[in-house]
Amino acid sequence: MLGISDPWVWMTYLICLIALLFCGIYGYINWNKDSDDDDGKH
Amino acid sequence: MMMTVSTELTIGIVAFYLVMIIGIGYYGYRRTKKVEDYMVAGRNTHPVIIALSYGATFISTSAIIGFGGTSAQYGMSLMWLTVLCIVVGVIIAFICMGKRIRRIGKDLGALTYPELLGKMYGSKKIIYATGAIFVAAMPLYTAAVLIGGARFIETTLGIPYMTALLGFAGVVALYVVIGGLMAVMYTDAVQGAIMLVGMGVLLVLTYIYLGGVTAANSALDSMGSLVPSTLSSMGMTGWTSMPEFGSPIWMTVITTLVLGVGVGVLAQPQLAVRFMTAKDGKSLNRAIPIGALFIVMMTGVAFTVGPLTNVYFMDTVGMLAIDAAGGNADSIIPLYINSAMPELFVIIFMLTLLSAAMSTLSSLLHTMGTTLGGDIFARMKGVRYSIRANQIGIVVMMIASVILAVMMPGSIIARATAMFMGLCTAALLPAFVHGITSKNPSYLAAKWSMTAGAGGWLLWAVFCHLAESKMLGICHALFGVDSLVSSPWCYLDPLVVGVVLSVTILLVLIPMDKHKITHEDQMRLT
Repeated sequence: MLGISDPWVWMTYLICLIALLFCGIYGYINWNKDSDDDDGKH
Repeated sequence: MMMTVSTELTIGIVAFYLVMIIGIGYYGYRRTKKVEDYMVAGRNTHPVIIALSYGATFISTSAIIGFGGTSAQYGMSLMWLTVLCIVVGVIIAFICMGKRIRRIGKDLGALTYPELLGKMYGSKKIIYATGAIFVAAMPLYTAAVLIGGARFIETTLGIPYMTALLGFAGVVALYVVIGGLMAVMYTDAVQGAIMLVGMGVLLVLTYIYLGGVTAANSALDSMGSLVPSTLSSMGMTGWTSMPEFGSPIWMTVITTLVLGVGVGVLAQPQLAVRFMTAKDGKSLNRAIPIGALFIVMMTGVAFTVGPLTNVYFMDTVGMLAIDAAGGNADSIIPLYINSAMPELFVIIFMLTLLSAAMSTLSSLLHTMGTTLGGDIFARMKGVRYSIRANQIGIVVMMIASVILAVMMPGSIIARATAMFMGLCTAALLPAFVHGITSKNPSYLAAKWSMTAGAGGWLLWAVFCHLAESKMLGICHALFGVDSLVSSPWCYLDPLVVGVVLSVTILLVLIPMDKHKITHEDQMRLT
């Protein structure tokens, strides 16, 4: 893929891209969540 | 390193940059009113600043120059470190740990990493033990950052090494001492933005010069037969392929570089403190996309451009990158920048490296100083944290780090950096994760997990892992050999052994402990 023949290497770029997308979507979905979680519990 | 731009222009731009950074540090000082501002930036930091500060602290000059050069030697298999950096260093760190660290830190009123860990287990001993590890070992890492920064300034500005070292240390200490974590994080954010621009341009220009993404990667892919015999005999197969499974290079790349740094990120106190500066979980949610982009751009670009320098040097001078750099992997990226990039970019990249060095140094200084001044000194005197005690702590730790930087050879310090990160991970990470995930954590399990992690790590480092055991010489003095285990196990990083031990002890002892820590126990410790 894109000139890299070993799938174990090009897979890293794919995983990074998917992880970046996940982070973007996570941030968007949770943009206004968790604003009042100060209930003292953990 | 040699920069090809004019000295006057370089000095002018660096002077402007330093004035800007000190100005931002002064702004942080003006906003610092109470000790909580100084220690955790008032627990009210903007998400973008959290994300950029986290990333800029994580990525030092050595991550770009050192790891970029290492990837030029070992190839794109290091991209697995980028995968771990984003999955562990951002997704797990922010979502699974960061929100808990922030909430528990605020609930227990903790202002530092040792205090957070100690309060979770209601134990002053843990505060002192963790503080002692940081105060004893962190100056080694700080000295390495100082040396890297000073060498870079020396060659870029053409000034004597000692002047560069003292000037670099002095400027950073100035804004850390006066402005605390607010100054550190605001300057980090600006420095992080500069780093983002620098690395982004580097990636784009590299692919443009090498004829596009597919053409450049294909050229590197076809260079597999040029792998030096010394490396191919140790398992290297090419720059766009993984080393042979279980070979010495595979062990080094995966256990030391990928796991050591990729998992070790979770145990770094200067990073964990960033979560305690967030106002709420919402701020961390918003910081995640920027943090992820930053980490991918820093490490991913370094591990992509690094190997591709082989194509460039083969095309231009008929040599592999490591040969073109005279056998010094740390010189590969600077040599490539000077040879291939336009003058304007050389300046941008210089500011990128300066920013990487300053942002990491400032955060380390703040963490060490607050540990010494707050967790150890003020606590032993029986007084609550004071800004003055922390300022004194920062100055003392800076002086200690400068002395180390002057006295110790660079090779030992670089190894000591990896040792510090490994020790932190093996000794502290399992107990820390147990503390933030359990409502009633077990002090017994944490205490023995920390002891086993540190002990296992130490024994493997001294007697088995060649990189440390050979340097220390204790194994050779006692047994007449550099390592008690044979290849490939002598390449297995002590971090793996330490973490396996500390996790096992923790899991065995948790169900056996009948006296778990309650929230009252935690709140009792002041």
